[in-house]
Amino acid sequence: MPEVKLEPTKWVDRYGDYLYNFTISRINDGELAQDLVSETFLAGLKSAVNFQGNSTERTWLISILKRKIIDQYRKANSRKGKAEVRMSYLDSDQNGDWLEEQARDLRNPTVEDQIEQTELGNALNACIAKLPERYATIFVQKTIEKLDTEFICKEHNITPSNLWVIIHRARVQLMDCLRTEWYEED
Amino acid sequence: MGRIFITCEDANILSTRHQYDDLNPKERFRYKVHHSHCPQCKTIDKRNKLFTSKLNCLGWKYLTVGQKSLIKAAVRKALSR
Repeated sequence: MPEVKLEPTKWVDRYGDYLYNFTISRINDGELAQDLVSETFLAGLKSAVNFQGNSTERTWLISILKRKIIDQYRKANSRKGKAEVRMSYLDSDQNGDWLEEQARDLRNPTVEDQIEQTELGNALNACIAKLPERYATIFVQKTIEKLDTEFICKEHNITPSNLWVIIHRARVQLMDCLRTEWYEED
Repeated sequence: MGRIFITCEDANILSTRHQYDDLNPKERFRYKVHHSHCPQCKTIDKRNKLFTSKLNCLGWKYLTVGQKSLIKAAVRKALSR
């Protein structure tokens, strides 16, 4: 008997946004991210019979999604390998220098910000994955999905006081985890 | 709960709730009073605020209602097979 019971009808509401965020921080394409999340759930349904219940639903779905993302990287790389041609957005008769284009990009502070945010996002996702399942789900629902306290309490059958204790503990664990995963790498 | 002075444990929970704008005026008062005489909790509160600002900078992306409906429909279809 599996220790964790799968509840596919609740997957989209419980994990949809989290998986979407996880994907979009690695593949910068909203439509593709949506497809991969959808494919992950369908693959999960297909392999549900093989689910041992040793990991949580979330961890199991993320492992499926990770494989989908890797497959996507492979596909993209094989396409790139065939024809890697980067075109300038300036026409040949326009005054523009490729070096200037590059330099302008590099000087733009938002590029660095984006990289930092992506790295932080990835580190945070890694830290969320280390949280106990219940903490992770409730933290994500309240912080990322911004669901109502009442809704979350009903879903998990807990009181608002319990919810805030869980969120507080989750945040403390995440801050500690991020300090080692992210801040110290700077 | 007419008490003004609260424990550090309670103050830390209030600090977390404050990050989600969940405090009523009484609780906000207690939280401020506690921080006025507890440097340790004030430091934890600062850390909490920094964490919130980092989280807010991440610009979370959400599935739209339409996207969720499409995925739910696909899951339902697969389940009915």
